[in-house]
Amino acid sequence: MKGKDTGNVCDEQVFDTLFKANSKTIFNYIYYKFGNEEKAYDVVQEAFLKLWENCSKVPPEKAKSYVYTVANNLYLNVIKAEKVRLKYADKTLKTTHEDPEFLMEENEFKQKLDDALNALPDNQRITFLLHRIDGKKYAEIAEMEEVSVKAIEKRMHLALKSLREKIDGI
Amino acid sequence: MQENYLAKWLNGDLTDAELAEFENSDAYASYKRIADTTDSMQAPEFDADGAYQALKNRRELRDNKVITLHPFRKFLRVAAVAAVLILGSYLYLNLSDETISTSFAENKEITLPDLSEVVLNADSEISYSESKWDKKRNVDLKGEAFFRVAKGKRFTVATDAGNVAVLGTQFNVENRKGFFEVTCFEGLVSVAFNNTVTQLRAGSSFIAIHGEIVESGAAHTSEPSWMHDESSFKSVPLKYVLDEFERQHDIAVKTQDIDLGQLFTGSFSNSDTGLALKSISVPSQIKFKFEGDKVLFYGENTP
Repeated sequence: MKGKDTGNVCDEQVFDTLFKANSKTIFNYIYYKFGNEEKAYDVVQEAFLKLWENCSKVPPEKAKSYVYTVANNLYLNVIKAEKVRLKYADKTLKTTHEDPEFLMEENEFKQKLDDALNALPDNQRITFLLHRIDGKKYAEIAEMEEVSVKAIEKRMHLALKSLREKIDGI
Repeated sequence: MQENYLAKWLNGDLTDAELAEFENSDAYASYKRIADTTDSMQAPEFDADGAYQALKNRRELRDNKVITLHPFRKFLRVAAVAAVLILGSYLYLNLSDETISTSFAENKEITLPDLSEVVLNADSEISYSESKWDKKRNVDLKGEAFFRVAKGKRFTVATDAGNVAVLGTQFNVENRKGFFEVTCFEGLVSVAFNNTVTQLRAGSSFIAIHGEIVESGAAHTSEPSWMHDESSFKSVPLKYVLDEFERQHDIAVKTQDIDLGQLFTGSFSNSDTGLALKSISVPSQIKFKFEGDKVLFYGENTP
């Protein structure tokens, strides 16, 4: 990315690259936060529109954190009202286990996991899912959230700990 | 187990020993299952291309609006520049002050619109408004100058230290860093300094050093000595004498181990550097030597 980023953000190609590299993550980020796809889609548009309007003032190396900051601030005061619903990759369905009892137990577990995820504080859920689903490194998440890597590790630790406690009913 | 070990484990950062310990714990199975299940989770579909297209459309809508504004803005810009230029040249031609200045080792004679004469000493500057001269005889002065004022309305010399006002007379004003001196040679001069007004009769001087008014003796000449290529001082701290030497001879002065506060009475030549150096050093009991294009004054006891 660095090589392509050295132009001006007003440059169509630089902007295009920035959009392709970050829009999906921003979408997911906002979705993990509010559980609303439409809102997440809007935030992506608004954040990049803002970047385009200020393209002459934002140096390319700052563009990424600029969009994350804008995205983060857009719905700062909105309280999460909806459930974050996540799908599961097909592979789990294609397992050889067709024992109905196993399937039931599996679904029950997923239900509990869903509930536990939704019960997490926003920042823990976002961090946890960005790592598990988007495969983001702790350092990357730290950059997006503008906190230290250590803080991200703390969130991950606490998130996993409380997920287990919720699911196991401790 | 180290701090945040669950985070380390998810990231594959545990040591073998720690991993073995963790795998043996009761909670491991649950943790493993959560990790595996969340691994296969997916976020909702995001149509990046569609989103980009939609964004482009919205962008163009905004850009178009901006473009329609441009021609007017450009016109405004040109108009503003033109207005500034016209106003500026008008002010310059009609209202701007005449400014005359001298550099080191240079004197100038200036005749003002009412035929008053000004002689500028070295490193000095005067400015006055030619267009307003008939209404107000006002000269701004930096440095030192001798004035021979034609009779008429009040004539004011403004300096950042104080103002000097007269009707028609001859006087000298010197305003250097921390040093302000007015000497009246003919008529009556009033000096406004720090809210006090002092009337100076012919042959007397007003001196203020660092804002303090200093008693001074009377001048017994009809013109300041510098107009005859000589700088004269009466009980003036050596520092100001050396400053004046710098200005008159355009030679940088350095000092070492000498008391710059000692009072100097005497004069030095403004045309003969060698003679001037002796005139300063002998009565002050200091020595001097040239160092490149500078001159160093140093104490007699300095090795």
